[in-house]
Amino acid sequence: MDQTLSPAPILELRGISKHYRSRGRSGRGGGQDVVALDQISLDFRPAEIFGLVGESGSGKTTCGRLIVGLEKADQGEMVLQGRSYGTLKGQALRDYRRQVQIIFQDPYQSLNPQISILDSVAEPLVTNRIGDGKSRLEKVLATLKAVGLAPPEDYAYRFPHQLSGGQRQRVAIARAMILGPKVLVADEPTSMLDASYSAQIFDILLEVRQRLDTTIILITHSLAAARYLCDRIAVIYRGHLMEVGPAETIISNPRHPYTQALIDATPKFGDCASLPRYGTLVSPERPASGAAGCAFFRRCGLAHLARCARQAPELRPLTPGHLVACHYSEESPDPETGATCRLGGMS
Amino acid sequence: MTTNSEPITTAAAPPRRSPWRDRLAENWHIFSRNPLGLAGLILLSIFAAMALLSFVPPMIDPMYHPMTGVDPLVLHSVGPSARHWLGTDFMGRDILSQLLAGTRVAFMVGVSAAFMSIVLGVSIGMVAGYAGGIVDTLLMRLAEIIMVLPTLLVVLMLSALFGKLDIWTIVLLIALFRWPGVSRVIRAQTLSLKSRPFIDAARVAGASHTRIVFRHIMPNVLPLAFLYMTFRVTAAIIIEAALAFLGFGDPSTVSWGMMLQWVWKTGHMFQAPYWLFPPGLCISLLTLSFYLLGRAMDEVLDPRLREENGTV
Repeated sequence: MDQTLSPAPILELRGISKHYRSRGRSGRGGGQDVVALDQISLDFRPAEIFGLVGESGSGKTTCGRLIVGLEKADQGEMVLQGRSYGTLKGQALRDYRRQVQIIFQDPYQSLNPQISILDSVAEPLVTNRIGDGKSRLEKVLATLKAVGLAPPEDYAYRFPHQLSGGQRQRVAIARAMILGPKVLVADEPTSMLDASYSAQIFDILLEVRQRLDTTIILITHSLAAARYLCDRIAVIYRGHLMEVGPAETIISNPRHPYTQALIDATPKFGDCASLPRYGTLVSPERPASGAAGCAFFRRCGLAHLARCARQAPELRPLTPGHLVACHYSEESPDPETGATCRLGGMS
Repeated sequence: MTTNSEPITTAAAPPRRSPWRDRLAENWHIFSRNPLGLAGLILLSIFAAMALLSFVPPMIDPMYHPMTGVDPLVLHSVGPSARHWLGTDFMGRDILSQLLAGTRVAFMVGVSAAFMSIVLGVSIGMVAGYAGGIVDTLLMRLAEIIMVLPTLLVVLMLSALFGKLDIWTIVLLIALFRWPGVSRVIRAQTLSLKSRPFIDAARVAGASHTRIVFRHIMPNVLPLAFLYMTFRVTAAIIIEAALAFLGFGDPSTVSWGMMLQWVWKTGHMFQAPYWLFPPGLCISLLTLSFYLLGRAMDEVLDPRLREENGTV
């Protein structure tokens, strides 16, 4: 991407595509591929918090799993600090994976029930052969303390079933940050937690960023959470990037009808009669466009049959750093009112 | 997690409690409400005591040695007396000391054959489930082939081919023929564990496949493996007894099956009930006790009950 203003990216995705073969019988037309990601190109800057926003099934989780190497891309390459992931082998591959860690969505499932907190958090140290027993213990205790589990000695020897969801998620964060990764993927880290815990987890993430200069890729379905945390946001729909830009710009001046629909869908509270409503979704959905058309065509209120169904819009800069994939991004409707009511739901 | 597990998760829980100990306490609670399981456990303790006592008679007098100890005063089979509580066999050997030695052999054969088949079954099941694809297919087809072979018949044929088999060869053969059932169950369990996020987390943490299988998956399948071990013990004891009774046992070992064979071969089948009944009864009761234990453990490990424990 040609963003002249940005510093050198720490991680780049270049034209990443991922398809899943569906298991239908080949003779019955059920064998169509499911597109998880289609030609995704993104760059992540050092120490930024980058929001990957989209609805269920939009491919955002697949994107996170690709970044940490749990899935393999069908096409495209990932470049971490100038080195392509695809060409790495052996020790270099292990070094790459050390730099990129992940926090999973469900803290009840992401910790092994048979392994103590101490051993779970120390696992990356053990597998990467860092330190000996004593230094590992010290490091684990320090990391547990850093994620707000104090006193750490109380938690280290417990087992996951003795902790609450919020505590487990902190343990998961501790495990992910113990190696001091350059990039941390947070896959909906708070969707299984109470709102009060969510804010705490977000604060821990902010602190991690500050202390370790880690780039955090926050995968979320909530624009409100993204706005609270993120410097930049990418909106993704059915594996296609719809809009990329600074968080404030995306929230206050969304130029893609899908982003606008997401903002419409965000829960709000307070006096919100004056909130902008874009109303860009159509229902019922239209019949699908051809493969060549825009991914959002079926639900887009602005779509023109002649253009949108036949030709997919390219992701192009509207202003420097704000990219939109819509033929009509310049002329999408302005909000009905310009009032400022805070987005609720999260913060 | 259900509400039942909440008390455990509160801050009041002391540190350094392993899930094993928590679960053990909880499982014992479930187990102790099962009368059949308790009966099995008591029966099993009696047999364990018998196995330990088997070392005593030969120490009292060499004539109580189960194999070589012949009472010089009795040269044929006599009924119970103060000198020989259960009587003697056809050449004047003490039946009680033979019975006790047989208990030791039964435990040895049962537990070691079961242990070996569990080790084999768990390893193969975990590898097949975790690796998937062609490895899975090959291993599971092999398991199916072995599963349909009648163990007793094959071991009989082998011993007919190679002459008398010693007791450890028999143990090994039983283990080799009894792993497939275990491996199928462990494979299924591994398949469900493989897709859990904590395995993904281990991969991201940099764990190798070997480490994932043995460090992260194995602790989660071991309870199931122990359950299957109790059933395998039963099977192994019965197979060994059958082999020995048919005359294909290890002639240098006194096992219950061997005792039955001696009764039958020397024509005492209907003349010496004091000789016939003890080993027969012991075989039935020991296998029964392992079976009861297994059933009770099955209940403990039942998924619905386990969910109540919050261990899912």
